[in-house]
Amino acid sequence: MLRKSYCVALLGGASLLVFANIANAQICTSTVRVLAQPRDSLTLLESYKDEFKKLSGASFEFDYLNENDRRAKSRAEAATTGKYNVYYIDEANVALFAESKWIVPLLDYYPADANYDDFDAGRKKVASYNGVAYFAPIQGGGDLLYYRKDVLEKAGITPPKTLEEYEAALAKLNDPAKGFYGTALRGGRGSGANVWRWMTYFKAFGGQWFVDGKPAFNSDAAMKATETYLRLFKYSAPGTQTGSWTEVTEAFNSGNVAMIIESSPLAGQTEDPKQSSVAGKVGYTVPPRPLVGGGYGHGLAIGAKANADDAAKKCAGAFIAWATSKQNEERRLEQGIFGDINRTSVINSDAFKKKYGAEIGNALNETAQYTDVNFWVNADWPDLGDRWGIILEELITGTRTDVKGGLDELEAYANKLIARR
Amino acid sequence: MKRKTSLPAVFLIPPLIVLAILAFVPTIAAVNIALQNRELSFPNSSYVWLANFIDLFGDRRFINAIWISLIWEVVTVTATMLVAVLLAIFLFERASPRMRRLISILFIIPVMLPRVSAAFVWKFMFNPLFGLINYPIKLLTGAPIDFLSLPATALASVAVVDVWQWGLFFSVIILKLLETLPPQPFEAARLDNAKTWEVHFYIGIPMLAAPLISLVFVKMVESLRAFDLIYVMTRGGPGIATETLDMYAFSQGFVEAGKISYASSMAVLMMLATIIAFTILWKWVRKWQ
Repeated sequence: MLRKSYCVALLGGASLLVFANIANAQICTSTVRVLAQPRDSLTLLESYKDEFKKLSGASFEFDYLNENDRRAKSRAEAATTGKYNVYYIDEANVALFAESKWIVPLLDYYPADANYDDFDAGRKKVASYNGVAYFAPIQGGGDLLYYRKDVLEKAGITPPKTLEEYEAALAKLNDPAKGFYGTALRGGRGSGANVWRWMTYFKAFGGQWFVDGKPAFNSDAAMKATETYLRLFKYSAPGTQTGSWTEVTEAFNSGNVAMIIESSPLAGQTEDPKQSSVAGKVGYTVPPRPLVGGGYGHGLAIGAKANADDAAKKCAGAFIAWATSKQNEERRLEQGIFGDINRTSVINSDAFKKKYGAEIGNALNETAQYTDVNFWVNADWPDLGDRWGIILEELITGTRTDVKGGLDELEAYANKLIARR
Repeated sequence: MKRKTSLPAVFLIPPLIVLAILAFVPTIAAVNIALQNRELSFPNSSYVWLANFIDLFGDRRFINAIWISLIWEVVTVTATMLVAVLLAIFLFERASPRMRRLISILFIIPVMLPRVSAAFVWKFMFNPLFGLINYPIKLLTGAPIDFLSLPATALASVAVVDVWQWGLFFSVIILKLLETLPPQPFEAARLDNAKTWEVHFYIGIPMLAAPLISLVFVKMVESLRAFDLIYVMTRGGPGIATETLDMYAFSQGFVEAGKISYASSMAVLMMLATIIAFTILWKWVRKWQ
């Protein structure tokens, strides 16, 4: 008890030291407005509003929208009125926001003692555009293969290490008559949905989006990736053909699915008995080779329009530094908000190992070497990615069958996009 | 002797000015944007005149969206009116006045639910793994039906929700209209041994022609505004199987591309098509009446 109080006092002291200069300056003069998508870590921040007010002199306010709506609204809002001091953005739209100057370079206004370098290297990579950091991570990670230990053991299957082994295992485990399925794939449209998972195959087969500024994705790699992805849908749970993260993770956590390749934050949900009926029954390892895990990150960036002067930008930077501080990450760890832990000092801490065990930690460390930025890092990526998402959904649901025709259509669209820049 | 007064003008002109501003300013702005190449991610734009409109007719998703919108309009308006008339007649013939009042309250509840809430409830009910609708199907056939992911069933499934909301509500209105009709023509027909369906087909419905036509127009306008229902339930999918014109315009303007001029050109065409279609229908109905 005494030790816990001592730790809390130490944390509080450290946090006060970090923000001492901010507090003295009363850096914020008005409420910080944030456009975000719902995250447990952000909800948790709201219970510490008084702490931020004491440190900065002002409070903050979140407006929440779900992921797709947040993307649509933030783009429209930043391009027109731009009333938000802080935007929640993600790896797919950092290029668009940075190039359009809707956000400003983060580190110019992020206090040095808030230690940006402590963030996981992969997350810092996706938070940058042209080598400049634009957001501080709230969540992120790579891919893991999640498998039902009990089901695989009963079937005499070891966790697959190659794509061939993975497909053979899915065929063996898929049993729709009993309402049990081999896997759950994202079929629903979107650069962050079906395209996100498809890209791991595309990159695995050597695919590239652009070479020397010209579209290069209409290739054998894209054909093979698409054919493989479509073939695997034979083993995917119903509802996933037009579903995304929510549908596939619900299918897995409800115990209807044997294996799933998904982003790493799922581990936190899977091991939470309140959200999952398979807690304690799941094994974690790296995705089968040669799949290239999709590195991703979401975080908070400083809006350009609403923060007209340097003082306002400093206030937004101070808010982001506080919201993504080590102290707040430790609070998330304590609350079991696994997906929103981004600092290496927290991931490698004894408290993390104690909470989630060695297996998840090892899988996370191991998967980092198979993780890359799979999407086209460009302001036009959301547009191109979403266009491919529609075509891919058409192919998955059978409303069209010509893979080559779909890729040709996408290439024509890509050429139009490039021509207008 | 009539005395000239300016009082009507005093009362009428201010609201007419407000209405004109509300109607014409957004319309003129939409037409103006449609003639440019404005995109959210580009600070500058220029006039491209009819280029967006020409591009639209070479866009397969736009052509598809026209068809889907037409099918949606015809299916939901027809199904709503059929369900409403049949249910109203059934209640009028079979239910006691007390029972009618009780059922009327129940039938009004669906339309009072916000569209988005209704869409979420039904989306969950259609879920192939956990949905209530799929439970008996799985028991009977051994496999669920993924209603919202199958091209053959997706649009019809969303239409069911629309008809559930509006068909039941309209049935209450039609029931109340039937109750207001004079009973003598009905009694005379029954004395002449007319069957129940004949009584209503030849007497009841023709007597209610004017209010029924009004309801058809109300539903036509309402069906044009089904964006939220479709957006929540299918997002226009599977593929583009439920992508209506408003869905596609929103998608191009804000979700996928940020092409607000392109989206505006769709909105302008939709507005023109709606004005022309409703004018023709209105004139046709008046002639028929």
